[in-house]
Amino acid sequence: MHPELEFAIALVAEGVLTGLMYSLIAVGFVLIYKSTDAINFAQGEFVMIAAIVVAGSLDWFGLPLWLSVLIGFAFMIAFGMGLERFVLRPMIGMPIVAIIMATIGLAFFLRGFGPLVFGSAPTTINLPIPDSPIFWGPLYLKPIALVGAGISIAFLAAFGWFFLKSRTGVAMRAVADSHQVSMAMGINVERFFAIAWITAGIVALLGGLVWGNMIGVDIQLALIGLKVFPVVILGGLDSIIGVVVGGIIVGVVEALTSGFIDPIVGGGMKDFAPYVLMVIMLMIRPYGIFGRRLIERI
Amino acid sequence: MTFLRTLGLAAAVTATFAAGATAQAKDIVIGMMCDRTGPTAVTGTVLCPGYHDYIALVNSKGGIMGNTVIADEVDIEYKVPPAVEAYQRYKAKGAVLVSPFGTPMVAALVKTMQEDKIPATSAGFGTAAAANGEKYPYMFPIAASYWSQTAAAVQFAKDTFDGDLKGKRIAYVFYDNPAGREGIPVMEELAKQEGYELRTFGIPAPGIEAGAQVLDITRRFRADFVIAHVFGRAPAVLLKELKRAGYPIDKVIGLVWAVSEGDIAAAGGWDVAEGYNTIQFAGVGSDYPVLQEIRDMYKAQGKEPPSEMAYTVYYNRGVFQAAMHVKAIEDAIKAKGSADITGTDVRDAMRNINDFTLDGLVPPLQMSAKDHEGGGYIRVFQVQGGKFVPVTDWYRAYRDTVLRLLEEEHKG
Amino acid sequence: MFHRECGYYKTSYEADQAVLPLPIAKLAILGFALLFLVFVPLFASDYYLSNLSLVGITVVGALGLNILLGYTGQISIGHAAFMSVGAYTAANLAVKLGLPFYITLPLGGTMAALIGILVGIPSLRVKGLYLAIATLAAQFIIEWIINHTPAISGGVAAAIEVERPILFGWHLDSATELYYFVIFFAVLAIIATINLVRSRVGRALIAIRDQDIAAEIIGINVFRYKLYAFAISSFFAGVTGVLYTYYLGIATYEQFQIVVSIDFLAMCIIGGLGSVIGSILGAFFITLLPMVIRIVMENFGPLFMDPNDLPTIIGQLRLMFFGGLIMMFLILEPEGLNRLWLNIRNYFRVWPFSY
Repeated sequence: MHPELEFAIALVAEGVLTGLMYSLIAVGFVLIYKSTDAINFAQGEFVMIAAIVVAGSLDWFGLPLWLSVLIGFAFMIAFGMGLERFVLRPMIGMPIVAIIMATIGLAFFLRGFGPLVFGSAPTTINLPIPDSPIFWGPLYLKPIALVGAGISIAFLAAFGWFFLKSRTGVAMRAVADSHQVSMAMGINVERFFAIAWITAGIVALLGGLVWGNMIGVDIQLALIGLKVFPVVILGGLDSIIGVVVGGIIVGVVEALTSGFIDPIVGGGMKDFAPYVLMVIMLMIRPYGIFGRRLIERI
Repeated sequence: MTFLRTLGLAAAVTATFAAGATAQAKDIVIGMMCDRTGPTAVTGTVLCPGYHDYIALVNSKGGIMGNTVIADEVDIEYKVPPAVEAYQRYKAKGAVLVSPFGTPMVAALVKTMQEDKIPATSAGFGTAAAANGEKYPYMFPIAASYWSQTAAAVQFAKDTFDGDLKGKRIAYVFYDNPAGREGIPVMEELAKQEGYELRTFGIPAPGIEAGAQVLDITRRFRADFVIAHVFGRAPAVLLKELKRAGYPIDKVIGLVWAVSEGDIAAAGGWDVAEGYNTIQFAGVGSDYPVLQEIRDMYKAQGKEPPSEMAYTVYYNRGVFQAAMHVKAIEDAIKAKGSADITGTDVRDAMRNINDFTLDGLVPPLQMSAKDHEGGGYIRVFQVQGGKFVPVTDWYRAYRDTVLRLLEEEHKG
Repeated sequence: MFHRECGYYKTSYEADQAVLPLPIAKLAILGFALLFLVFVPLFASDYYLSNLSLVGITVVGALGLNILLGYTGQISIGHAAFMSVGAYTAANLAVKLGLPFYITLPLGGTMAALIGILVGIPSLRVKGLYLAIATLAAQFIIEWIINHTPAISGGVAAAIEVERPILFGWHLDSATELYYFVIFFAVLAIIATINLVRSRVGRALIAIRDQDIAAEIIGINVFRYKLYAFAISSFFAGVTGVLYTYYLGIATYEQFQIVVSIDFLAMCIIGGLGSVIGSILGAFFITLLPMVIRIVMENFGPLFMDPNDLPTIIGQLRLMFFGGLIMMFLILEPEGLNRLWLNIRNYFRVWPFSY
């Protein structure tokens, strides 16, 4: 095989796996939007705080991994409930811009809170996953990325089923569609809000474990949140399959840009290319590949 | 005194007046900007305690010739407006020396400081051009600029390959911002001289993913040597990816911001980084007499030494900066014969610092009116068995080339 | 603005629209003018002057963003990028062509306005979240372009040094002179905004904010007015960038990153959306908040914690305060400081004879 082609194949495989790991972060975002119609600009900070709690339990108290993860779960559940109760519930019915700003405020709050409680020294989460890559033909596969991609796909499949088939999922979609009508139909809107935010917290924890292992744990882990936007815009904000496709597109575009465009322009186009793609998408099809077109009424 | 130190502006101004009246023992104010939050918090939260500990050590020994040093810290969060505010606060307090943190803040303040005649140090950042003391008379990089570091890294690679780089493939990995790109002209110039094949790999912000670049380095370009000039989270990510790809880590050298104990922890521990070569402008490790003195000072107060001391890369840089500041102020007082020193006195003293080594923590700097970089000395430390081990002495390389490029930069 | 009235006696639209409805308002304005133009420069130290100058610069930017966010209801997370456009335009014109500030400043603003229109074009199709993300993308794209175009950024350092403003051969370089320089433009921006929002354009923008489809039905060209809003808002942002450039003597894109955009959003929200006074209060609040937190913590922090840990805690507390305040204001007082101010004023309106 031609070496450049071989390299391109390796890049695509790398991109697909990385992209699926981006999907793992983005799914929390889509989950919230799909079930509460709220926008979470603090998704990266969710991941960060979950990872900081787990790493803090590991490092400080010397707990075993499973117990630390359990503590992480407990924390994220409490956090999701508290957040819904004290921040999101009072904001029901407010314009979307207000909710965007509230979550930006939350992001700053968490960036101060995490280091204040758990210290600002970077650390890592060591998972019992081998580190040496698997070579398979031209492919170069990272075990952690395979695990991340696996979790991502499993979660997305579960959510797909959940929103389509389960009673709770359908109720959540109804809540997202209109808070007022759902209330009138006897749906307990607050309860579904709480469920949505707790689930988002748990997804963030899994994202935090995988990405914390990949890049280390401290406030900079929150930067992963920046990857969410191209993924969700390309795939479609309220589409589970869209998150998968969007993630893969972003991952592959990044990898190929790095391999074939960077040498020409002599700079780092990689993380920038998905944003350009996203703007083009916003111009021609703002609701994404799989998104639902909104019809506006007065 | 602690109470005064912590008081706001008004009290400090009063204190200056009061001290002026007594004229003998004086409080000497150093403006210390710091990033305890924001994108560079990882550095600031370790570097600043190092700075303060050295100042506390000096004060515990009676200050600089009887004059107490006050290091007034402001957390500027890597933002320009707070840096301006902090600078004005220092000016109002009568600071004789300021230590801004971050390239944009230095850029924003360099003019004002020159007008106010207050010298400043910028160890490890700011443009290479700032080393020219004639153009920027009040700006002191004091540590090797990115150009000097890059040149030294090439020299290190050359030594690794027994003095011949001809035909070797060198990958220059840089964080894609102005500071990150700064080394490229030197790399290109030296490629002409040494005949190596150069390819640059950008890691753009936010720098949390470098899988594709590492694939390229290891499987397409097949680099013989990697020079990494990266910041933020990128060092940990790059190191971990290179290790995973099976690249020999002892063929990787990182410039000054590309390594710290924190980065190694984030990358997964010392095993991952085994063999990593790192360029330093201040000594790394715990075995320096001055660090022992700081530990003893804490013990004398009945306290444990701070946990930051374990992060020697940044902690020692804090000590290094503080030591340079104290040394310059001390020389200025000696030259003047009284503690009534101005910024210009400190500037002149700073320009005359020579071979002040602090038992190996500080490079053998030779400051002069023209050269505010002090010669551009660095030392390479290698990660071996869970600690940093020096593998070279303090050295500099391709000085003529670096100086010639500086000349051209000033003309152009 | 700062007047006190005891009833509602307006009988004509002109009276309702008057900027200074009562003689006492004129006195109040005169009082503020005396305070900020005479007493402050006379008696304040350089430290306070420079802080007020920074506030003055941010007032311009906050007003601009409030026109977009508060009056038109369109969000922009890319405002800092517009500032950098203004800053680099002015810096390049000043350095390469040697133009004086009174030419570079409007040109910088205009350039930012043009870019703002470009970014605003998607607002025809998208709004709310999509617009937020589009402007976020604009922030990154503009940053990247400046960073990678030496012709704009002035070389590897991506920083351009600029001479301090010169007015008729007079170098404005002391703290007092720069303060007047900044305050002049801040006042200009305030007057312009007050007049804009009571004009035809302003009313159209408010109609779009309140219900854009209804506004379209009553004959407002929504797309055109949204673009006006983007243009005006980015013009203000561009001017803010130019003011920073002249104030600091340097243009650097690293100074206008995403956190700055968010600072300005916070100013609008905490100050009060759709309010001129709110923008001013918000600019004061957000600029001075870190200083106040620091001074308070430096004085009282050592009482209950280890002074060695204090600096780190100050920084983290500041972030938590900043984020917490944004959330608190959104939940408890969505109209911000402006509403608090109005509440106070309304209480005293008929004082001491409140029923």
